[in-house]
Amino acid sequence: MEYAVETISLTKIFSDWWGRNKVCAVDDLNFKVQTNEVFGLLGPNGSGKTTTLKMLLGLLHPTKGKALCLGGDATDPKINTRIGFLPEESYLYRYLTAAETLDFYGRLFKLPTKVRKMRTDALLDMVGLKAVASRQVGAFSKGMARRIGLAQALINDPDLLILDEPTTGLDPIGTRQIKDLIIELAKRGKTILLCSHLLADVEDVCDRIAILYGGKIQAEGHVRDLLQRTDKTEITTGHLTHNALSKIEQIMDGEHAEYAVTSPMDKLETFFISIVEKARQQALPTSGAESKTQISDFLTAQAAEKARPAAILDKLVSTSVSSQPSGPAASPQTEQVHPVKTSKDMPADDLLRKLTEDAQPETVSSDREEPVQAQEDEQQAAGDNILDRLTGPSQPKEKQQQKDENGGDSSNA
Amino acid sequence: MRKIWAVAVNTIKQALRMKIAAVFTVLLLILLPVMGFKMTGDGTLKGRLQTFVSYGLSLTSFLLCLFTIIASIYTLANDLSRRQIYTVLTKPIRRYQLILGKLLGIILLDTILLALFGGIIYAIAVNMPNFIKADEEQLTQVRNEFYTARASLKPAEQDVSADVEREFEKLKKNRQLPNGLEKNLGALRGYKGELRRRIELSKRAAPVGTELLWQFQNVKPQDPNQPLFVRFKYDVAVNPPDLAIYSRWLIGDDRQIRYGTGIKTPIYSIDRKDLIRTFYEIEVPADAVADDGYLVVAFLNVPLNDTVVIFPPEDGLELLYKADTFTANFVRAVILIGLRLIFLAALGLLAATFLSFAVAILLSLSVFLIANTSGFILESFEYVSENISGFYNYIFKSLIELMPQFDKFSASAFLVPGRLLSWSLLAKLALSTVCVKTVLLVLLAMFIFSRREVAKATV
Repeated sequence: MEYAVETISLTKIFSDWWGRNKVCAVDDLNFKVQTNEVFGLLGPNGSGKTTTLKMLLGLLHPTKGKALCLGGDATDPKINTRIGFLPEESYLYRYLTAAETLDFYGRLFKLPTKVRKMRTDALLDMVGLKAVASRQVGAFSKGMARRIGLAQALINDPDLLILDEPTTGLDPIGTRQIKDLIIELAKRGKTILLCSHLLADVEDVCDRIAILYGGKIQAEGHVRDLLQRTDKTEITTGHLTHNALSKIEQIMDGEHAEYAVTSPMDKLETFFISIVEKARQQALPTSGAESKTQISDFLTAQAAEKARPAAILDKLVSTSVSSQPSGPAASPQTEQVHPVKTSKDMPADDLLRKLTEDAQPETVSSDREEPVQAQEDEQQAAGDNILDRLTGPSQPKEKQQQKDENGGDSSNA
Repeated sequence: MRKIWAVAVNTIKQALRMKIAAVFTVLLLILLPVMGFKMTGDGTLKGRLQTFVSYGLSLTSFLLCLFTIIASIYTLANDLSRRQIYTVLTKPIRRYQLILGKLLGIILLDTILLALFGGIIYAIAVNMPNFIKADEEQLTQVRNEFYTARASLKPAEQDVSADVEREFEKLKKNRQLPNGLEKNLGALRGYKGELRRRIELSKRAAPVGTELLWQFQNVKPQDPNQPLFVRFKYDVAVNPPDLAIYSRWLIGDDRQIRYGTGIKTPIYSIDRKDLIRTFYEIEVPADAVADDGYLVVAFLNVPLNDTVVIFPPEDGLELLYKADTFTANFVRAVILIGLRLIFLAALGLLAATFLSFAVAILLSLSVFLIANTSGFILESFEYVSENISGFYNYIFKSLIELMPQFDKFSASAFLVPGRLLSWSLLAKLALSTVCVKTVLLVLLAMFIFSRREVAKATV
């Protein structure tokens, strides 16, 4: 079977001017990304993630070993026509306008003028930069540049999307949008190789991850295998009456199980987006990017039929994808994973929490164990020191969560 | 090809929007008209025109050369240092296509700028007589000597080796050679060189009362109604009191007299008095040339003078005749500048493939300066290098000859004296500068760029 990405004992040693070996950035690396998989390459700074990507793309030559994309060399135009790449920073021509930037990259793919124009418009609309399409990119903020960077990576509707730190510099809406986009593209049968140290992002979208340290893979596997807790059960329902709640409590008491009843917290992300959405409905002006959470039409199957000459191919892709559900959003297991995350990502700020409660209808979730306990378990599950340090929850946060737990109980009781 | 074109357009936008081109354009747009009105030369219309065209073209050429070097290096070095290259090279474009695209962009931009500034200089030069009041005499002069493209014929160099040997043997027989000369090879070579120079000079010298005679073949004026010109400069053994030489010139087909075939074409006889060490031109109707293109120019050192008259080598005497129009010549001269720019664009790109912006600029400017002064460098080393000839001949000289010799063929050197820059000479220069040297540079640039890693070590 052909892998979307494959490295065979890939090694990169940077040497100094005299040819003496200085740094071994990537050390005998072997990993495979299957077609239609969202693969996350994780690791702290300097762990060799970006170097690996650069070798995959032919920007660096491996000292030893091979790096294959879509079964071939990524410098081959036949191969890289099907690749989209977003570097760790959006390296853009400062003197081009946003629209010209996309048009230029479109030309490199020999896209016909009509398609190029259509995609440029659609992508600018998608990343929320339509209003500033004729402004020079040099005057853009980091987040806006990032959005253009993402748009250029998608101009060719790639089969393999390689994203290096896709969410750095983006506001939460942009971050959410990228995550949604990744999930949507995965549904369409694309392969995505993601490189990040923002663990929450990786966790939300990746099927499989590999954790890199010192140029070597320290852990690799399916996200749900690595993170799922089989010793816990979580039930999420709508609003429960007093009566129903006390019945459940009775059952639980009968089982002699430890449990907690609480209203689940919204993620800060969700909250933030809802606030901005409200502001937008009031039509407050903004000078920056206008974020939207929709995915551009040509990247989704339906619109592609109208717009692209190769519509038949598109149909084939889209039907095959919809008939066999895949990707984290579609699978039942991930739905169990999500609420666990929700408890972990509780906001620290009291005020914000109150606001959340105001803004959102209350729901009740039951967790069989104390959340503090759950976090400790998760730490063990991740089983990696470096990861721990990056994710490690701070003490005050835990206390707040406990407080919150109590508050939730009393309000429900 | 569409990818190359896309890169070319992007390169042009870069040069324009990063205001590299703007600086040079504004400078020239201001300077050229100012020069047109302020430069008066020696006060005559011809002097004014010559000064303006000479300075205007040289300045344009120099600034565009600088622009080409900077723009071509900037476009690649900036992509590398600012890493736009990451997003470009991961698209379906080969690295050689990127180089070609950038080269094409720079060349196109150069062409546009060159056409613009060439057009301005041409317009000012052609309309100059309308701006200033010039009398009929001056107008005729510029028509004959400036608004023209005159082919130049120089007398064939005579081979004097036999004369040198004969003279040497004669001195040897008379025991007039310095002592021990024949044992010292270096001294012998120097002595013979001196002998050769003396004999060569004697062929160009006319003692009082004698004549010098030059034969020209293949004289083919474009228009039989346009005159021919004999351009000359005197040198003398002893300065005459008024620094002037009296002379009689005979110009025509001397075979008619020598073989007594009867006079078919006129032979012109002209008496003159001219200052020494100054260029003069004698105007002769074109009908002096025989049907087969044969023409003789004879100079008689009349006894009024009291000194040997010498015609210096190189530019002592030449025959000029109109062979093409000023416009056509001007276009070719501008193309000649274009050839330089193409070479420099390739050079800049090559330097940027493996050097940083600053170092690449330094290297390219050095090559540019050497190419601009190659004649001077070669000449001076020719003089001092008799003892280091091995190193000089094989390494240094060939290195310099690898570079184009900008000073040897400069546009204003053709236009200022109204000299013909023929298509064949231009083609020859294009062949050596562009087809050989530039192609070599581009191939080397492609080779290096295809091999190198474009990303830097970031660990």
